[in-house]
This record gives sequence, C-alpha cells and structure tokens, in this order.
Amino acid sequence: MDAIHGLLTGFQVALSIQGLLFVFIGVAVGTIIGMIPGLGPITAIAVMIPITYGMSPAIALLLMAGVYYGAAYGGSASSILLNAPGVSESVATTFDGYPLAKQGKAGKALAVAAIGSFIGGTISIILLTFLAPFLSKIAISFGPPEYFALMLLGLTALASLSDGSTIKSLISATIGFMFATVGIDAQTGTPRFTFGNIHLLQGIDFLIIALGLFALAEVASLILNRNEKAIDQSKIGSLKLTKKEYKEVAGTIGRQSLLGFLIGVLPGAGGTIASFLAYLSEKRLSKHPEEFGKGSLRGVAAPETANNAASSGAFVPLLSLGIPGSGSTAVMLGALIVLGVQPGPLLVNEHPDIFWGVIASMYIGNIILLILNLPLIPYISKVLKISKPLLISLIIVFCIIGVYGVSFNVFDLYLLIGFGILGFVMRLIDFPAAPFILAFILGGMMEQSLRQSLTISNGSISIFFTSPVALVFIILSFLSFLIPVIQIIRRNNRANSAISKGA
Amino acid sequence: MKKLVGILLLGLIMIFATACSNSSTGNKENGGKFEPKKAIEITAPAGAGGGWDTTARMAAKIFNDEKIINQNIGVVNKPGGGGAVGWAYIHSQKDPYHLFVASPPLLLVPLNGQSKYDYKDFTPIANLIADYGAFVVRADAKWNNLNDLFEDMKKDPSSITVVGASSPGSMDHIQFVKVAKAAGVDIKKIKYVSDQDGGALTDLLNGSADVYSTGIAESVEQVKAGKVKVLGITADKRLEGDVISDFPTAKEQGIDATFVNWRGFFGPPNMDPAALKYYEQKFKELNDSKAWADIRMKNGWNEYFMGHDEYIKFLDQENKSMKALLDELGLAK
Repeated sequence: MDAIHGLLTGFQVALSIQGLLFVFIGVAVGTIIGMIPGLGPITAIAVMIPITYGMSPAIALLLMAGVYYGAAYGGSASSILLNAPGVSESVATTFDGYPLAKQGKAGKALAVAAIGSFIGGTISIILLTFLAPFLSKIAISFGPPEYFALMLLGLTALASLSDGSTIKSLISATIGFMFATVGIDAQTGTPRFTFGNIHLLQGIDFLIIALGLFALAEVASLILNRNEKAIDQSKIGSLKLTKKEYKEVAGTIGRQSLLGFLIGVLPGAGGTIASFLAYLSEKRLSKHPEEFGKGSLRGVAAPETANNAASSGAFVPLLSLGIPGSGSTAVMLGALIVLGVQPGPLLVNEHPDIFWGVIASMYIGNIILLILNLPLIPYISKVLKISKPLLISLIIVFCIIGVYGVSFNVFDLYLLIGFGILGFVMRLIDFPAAPFILAFILGGMMEQSLRQSLTISNGSISIFFTSPVALVFIILSFLSFLIPVIQIIRRNNRANSAISKGA
Repeated sequence: MKKLVGILLLGLIMIFATACSNSSTGNKENGGKFEPKKAIEITAPAGAGGGWDTTARMAAKIFNDEKIINQNIGVVNKPGGGGAVGWAYIHSQKDPYHLFVASPPLLLVPLNGQSKYDYKDFTPIANLIADYGAFVVRADAKWNNLNDLFEDMKKDPSSITVVGASSPGSMDHIQFVKVAKAAGVDIKKIKYVSDQDGGALTDLLNGSADVYSTGIAESVEQVKAGKVKVLGITADKRLEGDVISDFPTAKEQGIDATFVNWRGFFGPPNMDPAALKYYEQKFKELNDSKAWADIRMKNGWNEYFMGHDEYIKFLDQENKSMKALLDELGLAK
C-alpha cells in the first residue's frame, strides 16, 4: 500500500513536463554514450553535474539515472556489430553477439538485446518499488567472505567457458589473474608489477583489455583473411524472432532479470560482474552449452538483461542506505549533496519526491529506451554494409578513441596495442580469450575479498564456513567443479565399455 | 551510415576539444605585475566526480561567475597513480597558466614512494577548505568514546578491525593511526582493511568490521538514522551544524591529536613571483566571496584559508608528522 502511494507521488514528479523532458534527455544521452567509445557513464554524469545546478534534486537525479541505465542499454550495439564494447557492462555481449552478426543475424541479436534490456530493466524496477526496504538488508548482508565465495562460484564456471582444451582455458585464465594484480595493492599499499611506471599504479582498465583482446585481435584476423569471401556478413537479417526463439530467450530473460538485479543490489559488484555471471549461469543451465560463444541468442539475452537489471539494482543501496555501490552512483551521490540533499537511510521519509520520483521515472525511461532503440536497429546495423577496409579502419579508430577518451593518456594506447597483439597470438594458437577476461574481472575482486576476510579473521579460514551465505556458495562451487569431472569419467567409462563390447 | 559517421565525428570533436585545451605555449610576462592573457587551466589529478574534481570545478565556476578572474578557466582531469600522473603533467608545465588542486595525498603518495614529485616540487598558492576525519562504530557497539575503543585495542589489537576506503598509508588509514598513536596504541598492530565503492560502510553495518575511518559528511545521515555513532572526530574543536555539533573531538577526550584534510591550490614549479602574488590575491577574493561561502556550506566544507607563506610552513609540519607515522608503520620509502 505504501509503495503504491509512494509510486503515485513519484509519477507526479516523473510525469510533469520537466520530468518527462529530462528523463528523455537522460536516456537519449545515455544511449549515445553507450554506443560511442570513450565516454563512460561516470564521465557523462560528472559532466552533467553543472547542468543540474538550480534544478530540483528529484529532476536532477532522474536525469543522471537516465544517463546511467541508458548507457547500459546502448552499449550492446558496438559489441554486437564491431566486437568492440563501448562500456565495460557490455563486454560479455561480444561473446555471442558478434558471432551472430557474422552469421547475418545482427538484427535478431540487437532486437534480443533491446528486449532483454527492457524486460530486465522493468522487472528490476518493479522489485525496487515493492521490496526496497527488504532489499536494503540484502545489500549490506555481503561482507568480504560472502563476496569471495560468490567470485569463487563464478570462477568455477571457467572450465565451461571454452569448448576446446581445458588446459588452454586455464592457462588463459591464469594470465588474466596475473594482469589483475597489476597496480597498487589495496590491502598493503604496495605497487605490484608496475616497474616504476606511474601509469600502471592504478591497474589496467578493463576496457583496454577487452578492446585489445576482442576488437583489435578481430581486426588482425580480418586483415589476415582479407581474401576470403565473407559468409554474407553484410546481411542484417530480420529483426523478428520466431516463436521458437522467443521461447528460447524468455526463460533466460526472466532468470537474468532476477540475478542481475540481486547482483546490482550488492555494493561493489555492479553491472559488469552481473553480465558475466549471467552469461556463465545461462551456459551452465543450457542443454546445449556448445552453442554459447558461437552465436547463441541466449548468450546475448543473458548479459544484456542482467546489466540493465543491475543498473536499477544499484539504486537500492543508494536510495535506501546512502551507500554508493559503484563509481557512477558515487558521482550521483556527490551531485545530490551539492543540491543540498544528503542521501541516507532517511531519504525515503525526508524526500519522498526524490526517492519515488526516480523510481517512477525509470518505468518511463525504460519504455522510452525501447521505443528509441528498436526503430534505430536497421540504421545502426548498416555499419556492417561498409566495405571491409573501411570497417577495419572504423574499428581501429573506435578502439583508439575508446581508450584515449577514458584517460587521455598515450600510455594506455600502447597497452591497447599490446593486448591486441596478445589477443591475436592467442587466436593463432587457439587460446580462448573469454577466460582471460573473466579471470581479470572476477579475480581482482576475489583476491581482495579473500585477503580482507583473512585479515578480519586473523588468518583463520573458518570465516568462510561460519557465514551461511558463503558456505552455500562454496558448496555450490565445489559441486559445479565436480559435476563436469564426474560426467567426463562416466562418459569415458561408457566409451570404454562400448569399446570392450565392440571388441 | 551517415548517422554513425556523425556520431563518430562528434566523439572525435569532443576528444580533440579536450586535447587542445591541454596545449598552450609559454608566455613570458614582462616583470612586475601579472595579469593573465589567456585561458587558465586547473588540473584535477583524478577522474571526474571526486573531491579534487568537485573543488576544482566549483572554484573555476565561482572565479568566472563572480568575475574575480576574467579569463576562462577550464578544468582537466588527469587520473592515475593516486595523483602521480597529474603531478607529473603539471611538473612539465612552465607557464603560470596551469594550476592544480591538492590535499593530503600530495604528501602521502610521495612518502609511500609512488610519486617522484612531492609538494616541494610545486608552488603552493593558497589553501581554501578543510574537512576532518570521523571514527564511526555501529550504534549498538560496546564503545561509547574513543578511550573505550583504544583501551580494548591496547588489550587485544587482533579483535578489532578498522575499515577505510583507501589503501594502507593513505588518508583513511593515517588519520586513524595518528589519533590511535596519541592514545598510546601500538599502531603496527592495528588491523586495517581497505574496501572501495561503498564497501567500507557496508562492512561496518554488517559486522565484518568494527570501526570505520571516514569523513564527517559521510557519517551524518547514518547517525541521524540511528545506524551508527561517531566516537570522535579529528578537528581541533567541535564543528557547527545539525548533528555535527554533537560529534566529540579526540582532543576533548584527552587525546592530543588532530588530522586536517586540507584542500588548496598549487602552481607549477618555481612560479613567477608576480603570478604567485596575483593568484594568492584572487584565491583570497574567492574565499571571501558570498558565492564561495554558499558552495562551502552546500558541500559541508569548512573554511580554512592560508596564504602562500603560511601554507608552506603548514605543509612542512604536516609532512614531518606524516613521515614519522609512515616510518613507524614501515610504509615510507
């Protein structure tokens, strides 16, 4: 009842002319930022802060929120069409999105991404509307041991990420882990593997690695195979999904709306981690895991649904506790302070117009995003019709702007080229890049939470078994690790007995 | 296709616009009086949205809005290395059109061995504002003042976990260590955990950590909601403000230690004395303006003005005190 009443208050704000206008501006800017490289949502929101001076805080926040979830929405296009993610939240979308585009099904991939984003966003706002007070308890229930166990569970899915050699994916993951350790170690303050270079002190940006390993490596392959006739890569294909395809992605979208939202609620995890865990869990659940990575619609639906659901989830700790769970929400918090509102546990009582106004605006924002994005798909996908030499140059420019625009630092461009070469070599000798990326993104957080836990417990590993949440995750990790091994043994036994029968 | 090219072009233009604002030519002033003849650039040696960035953008805005300085003032972000990348950039600038905003990391990062340039390599112009540290525990914690807490820490340091948002040797850690040392705690035995992105407050609320070392502004709303209590703050005397005036200082609890999170503006190495004088005067005007007082209030910043000479003495003293702490912790390089 309270929620309905609150929501009505919220719609008064969101449906005012000013409210509608700024929701529209927010999501439109967000979409563009998601599409073009270099401008992440954090920078975009920070740049907008001066515009918000003099606005009512509720309108200012719904504008910034629009940019934030709009960016997660728009990010899919370059991942699918160019294999070059514009924001880190859509890196996982490249795994299946680009193969689909290569098969001439770009239209379908983009449509699934848009629909998944819309449903993921909407379901998570409904959850946010009715469960925010309860969810705020979940948000703070995760301490270092729980995070460690969750990351461990994510990593056990590594083995399933590649269909080729398990050894090769493990080696690839190990290298990813190693790169995650570069920079100042947060627990000791010691620089690791920086070789005295100040540009490495804050570690390597995730987007540089993703663009190098995926986009630049793809460019190298395109150049190498320039004489081969492409299998009709320029075809965009229909946007419409068949009934069978709808059925296929419906379950994925439903599940990942929930999972993405829950991970978004946890401060510190965020949309990128949500999209990876979504991809991995769908692959795990699938009856045909071998299709993932080769152009599965579910492989696009999972990360795209989850990253949007996570971006609404991130508002739970911000609005109900005053805890920013990510860089973007921290910037929003700073902007609200300047406008005279200090978000905290009392926000919902003291400023119901802000709390409910933002939630109400997200319903509207998501609808606008769908209307804005679906008709654009045929135009955006025309990028595939460009001739190959032009397309190759375009991707290279895209990568360079994407990296330089984040830090304005030439050193990062050398890193980009380095990772491009590494990615290309890995392709030549058949090492999968996905485990590398996964280990990099989960490994950094896993290491920190492991060491935080052990500091807190004075070195005793019992801390992981006394927390029920952590314990459940650890048991699941062991199971998910053991089951494939058992399956392999069984299969071998069956094969052996088949051979002996045959003999 | 045309649209996409348009979007890409837009992106390119935006980047070039930012890149071009970085380049400027040396411009010799003819002795005596200095008056800026072109746009001034303030560097925030961190990404957009943080404390340095906000201070720089606010100052630039008020300078222009109030017509204190009639040249355009732009803010550029040079993130990386906890400030080291930005400092290296400023160090390479020779003309007095490049300023930057600084705070205690300008002392701590070089002392930790992560930047080859320290505050002595630049020209301090003026300090503007100050913030103070707050030591926060859960509302139901057994400690009601800093002495209770420090007594327990002396008895069994391994039973108490302190959490902060930054790594050991940086501000959140050092402000706690400084006060704890004055209270007689063996600072080498303090268990400190660093957790980013709002994780530190979460760790306090869910019981993973016992004490949260943070800023005063971050604590106010949680105190109002009855979730936490502030055992002590690092200011010299009590501050004004709703709830804030209830926060006891470490000093009034008999612990003789303070920690100032100062924030001010610096220029490139060996700044021309005329230019230094000019900027010092302008920052004084900024500090005294009503518009800036307004910004200070909105952000919860405290006025703390120091001109060039006073600033240098203050920095020397702060640096000595930080170095002693880091030496004892074994973190100084």
